[in-house]
Amino acid sequence: MGVCNKKSALGLFAALLLLAVGLPARAEVCATDDAERRVCLPAPAARIASLSPGATELIYAAGAGDKVVAVVDYSDYPPAAQEVPSLGSHTRIDVERLVALSPTLVIGWVTGNPPDQLKTIEALGIPVFYVEPRSFTDVASAIERLGTLAGSADEAQREASRFRHGMAEIRKRYAGKAPVRVFYQVWDEPLMTINDAHLIGKVLSICGGVNVFGDLERLVPRIGDASVLAADPEAILAGGMGEENRDWLTHWAQYPDLTAVTRDNLFFVPPSLIQRPTPRLLEGSRLFCEKLEDARARR
Amino acid sequence: MHVARYSMAAVGRRGLVFPLGVLALAALAALVLSVAIGSVTVTPAELWRVTLGGGDALSRTLVLELRVPRALSAFATGGLLALAGALMQVLLRNPLADPYVLGLSGGAAVGALAAMLAGLGSLVISGSAFVGALASTLLVFGLAQGTGSWTPARLLLTGVVVASGWGAVVTLMLAVSPAERLPGMLYWLMGDLSYARTPGLPLVLLLGVCLLVFPLGRSLNVLARGALQAVALGVAVRPLEWMIYITASLLTAAAVSTAGSIGFVGLVVPHMLRLVLGNDQRLILPACALAGGTLLMLADTLARTLIAPEQLPVGVITALLGVPTFLYLLYRSR
Amino acid sequence: MSRLEARELIIDVPGRRDGRALDLSLEPGQVWGVLGPNGAGKTTLLHTLAGLRAPRRGVVCLDGESLAALPRRRIARALGLIFQERQDGFPATVRETALIGRHPWLSPWQMEGGEDLQLAEAALKRLDVAHLAERLVNTLSGGERQRLAIATVLTQAPDIWLADEPTNHLDLHHQTATMALLTEQARTGRAVMLCLHDLNLAARWCDQVLLLYPDGEMCWGPRDAMLVPSALERLYGQRLVTAEVDGAPVFVPVR
Repeated sequence: MGVCNKKSALGLFAALLLLAVGLPARAEVCATDDAERRVCLPAPAARIASLSPGATELIYAAGAGDKVVAVVDYSDYPPAAQEVPSLGSHTRIDVERLVALSPTLVIGWVTGNPPDQLKTIEALGIPVFYVEPRSFTDVASAIERLGTLAGSADEAQREASRFRHGMAEIRKRYAGKAPVRVFYQVWDEPLMTINDAHLIGKVLSICGGVNVFGDLERLVPRIGDASVLAADPEAILAGGMGEENRDWLTHWAQYPDLTAVTRDNLFFVPPSLIQRPTPRLLEGSRLFCEKLEDARARR
Repeated sequence: MHVARYSMAAVGRRGLVFPLGVLALAALAALVLSVAIGSVTVTPAELWRVTLGGGDALSRTLVLELRVPRALSAFATGGLLALAGALMQVLLRNPLADPYVLGLSGGAAVGALAAMLAGLGSLVISGSAFVGALASTLLVFGLAQGTGSWTPARLLLTGVVVASGWGAVVTLMLAVSPAERLPGMLYWLMGDLSYARTPGLPLVLLLGVCLLVFPLGRSLNVLARGALQAVALGVAVRPLEWMIYITASLLTAAAVSTAGSIGFVGLVVPHMLRLVLGNDQRLILPACALAGGTLLMLADTLARTLIAPEQLPVGVITALLGVPTFLYLLYRSR
Repeated sequence: MSRLEARELIIDVPGRRDGRALDLSLEPGQVWGVLGPNGAGKTTLLHTLAGLRAPRRGVVCLDGESLAALPRRRIARALGLIFQERQDGFPATVRETALIGRHPWLSPWQMEGGEDLQLAEAALKRLDVAHLAERLVNTLSGGERQRLAIATVLTQAPDIWLADEPTNHLDLHHQTATMALLTEQARTGRAVMLCLHDLNLAARWCDQVLLLYPDGEMCWGPRDAMLVPSALERLYGQRLVTAEVDGAPVFVPVR
């Protein structure tokens, strides 16, 4: 019953908003999504549902946070997103609840959401815009495109260029630095890392790091301790689930012959800053680069 | 055993009407329930207006576009599985057989997961699951046939071994698949109706097979007492067994490609019905279609509302309901 | 009345040479007893005569037509079988089991009617198991199951009865009652063939006898010509003493 009341209140609010803004604001907006599809809306989206935690961050970054009516589990940033109703796990969306929130735009996740559910949503007449940035350029452009669709192009533009400039600055600063051979640990059991095509791999490379597993075929390869010992990285960076997990790093201390261990180059990097393709990558990249600088200093 | 046992033989054709009528009413009630209940509330009054062709746009979308197709898919899938299970049990003369006992779900899983690994669309995934199921059927049959002819025991053993082979392939595929595809695969393996939106074909199949097997019902009754006895009483056993095998495989393949491999419906439903209704296939088979459908509709309603907005795979619910029920029945039946 | 004939029939017992071919006709009114030691192929012979097993050579004909060419349903209307072994994987009641005998007489869409039910009830009563009608078969004793199997064939009402050890598990009274029932069937024009272990039952109730030797040899003919001590002693490899009681020969093994 509560949901019903809330819905009608929101509906009323939306209607009033439309009246207040009036007809002159009615203008078609278009953008191309990351599935190479042209998505056009008759008017900037006033109610947006975000189907991935990363997309939620991007929408807020694009200055459209106030238009987000639905998110999925783990949409924890910015903190305001935690107050928005959730549609459940991104792997299985509560389509019913989504429909009841009557969004005018759904931001989908190409590889994260079940394709059939996205198809169902589109079949119900709700436009879906796919977002899946795979590079720093993609992140900036996604913010701009979301801004266009949400009617906050100016603010999005500002945030996108802040991100672009920040990344360019980092790239410039570390361009001439001596390479550091790095192993980045995504998870411990099973032991997982990333290759060069992964965004984290790209962060490593702009910091002057060389990913020892960069050439592996899979985006997130599963490996064993032996491979790490054979590769003998100069530094080990560990992400993980929480914001602190020294356990993963002490695990490596049992191999005193590892260069990373002898030089004490075992670093924890809060994964929240780099695990999603969002503007927080800027801060994450700075942190990464500082760790690699520390490693250089210990030579 | 002091279960009041229903004897259809004693009451004749009229004996079909009462139990099937009760089950049909139960199915209807379950349909109404699963259409009325969801993570978003639709009031009974609003539901009634939608039924009459009115109601607001949102309620119409929720009920007609989302809930009805899904509930009917659940009904069709559950009915197909229970019917296939009952047929397999007669074929193998083993009340503990289920539709997957001959490695069907394993073959279907390998087909579906391979399509998912390749990043193909849902239509291809369904088709691939169907092909995998039938391929497994033929493999098991071919191997069980061997150089002589198959016996139920040999068929069962071959099926169990082939199924565990498929299991290993499935585990291998899960191990090498990229992380982002894992959730979809796991949901498929546990059975999931969240994308089933086209119940038409499975429903037609269910009805068609019910009509097809009804005239064979008495022959199946005789077959359930053993092949020799059946031949002696005028049943053409080999053609009949082939027919059951092919039909049950088709039904299972259709169910699996609609909703992944949902467990326990095919095992538990025929078993429960036999305890109450006896073992006349003319009654048990249509009863399985109705009761299996009803059970899965209810299970799916639970799956999508129990911890909404989180959506559970329906296979988890059927297993959680099915395991204790089955153990209880086994315990009671000495 | 239907007639079953074996023409130059050699049954297929794996690993045994052909032996003698069987040329025999089951005439209405006859009661045949098949005697032989364990493993001589009595059951195989019965199953071959019923068309459940292919013969090694020769044919079995029902009313002049080869069994292999006839639909099973047609055969089942003429020919009833009592098996030595029965399986019951699924629970069924005694009444349901007897009613199964009506199967060959009903079309696919037809349900068992009142007439079928009456036949089944009469058969159950005749075999003294009517009081068990509601019981599940797997709760019956061996003798009760045996009588139910006979009642099922009685419900089937075939012209020709092929019975494998019909008196198995039966107490003395029911053995006699069963043999009386079978000879009564023959008196009404049906043909009966029984595999028996009990020489004396054969001597008492059968009018024709077939002796089946383990090496595939066989001989058959009227009872009095067949049941001579020398032939029987060779058949079983067992010395016998003979007496006559109540107008029939009685054979007792020598200690």
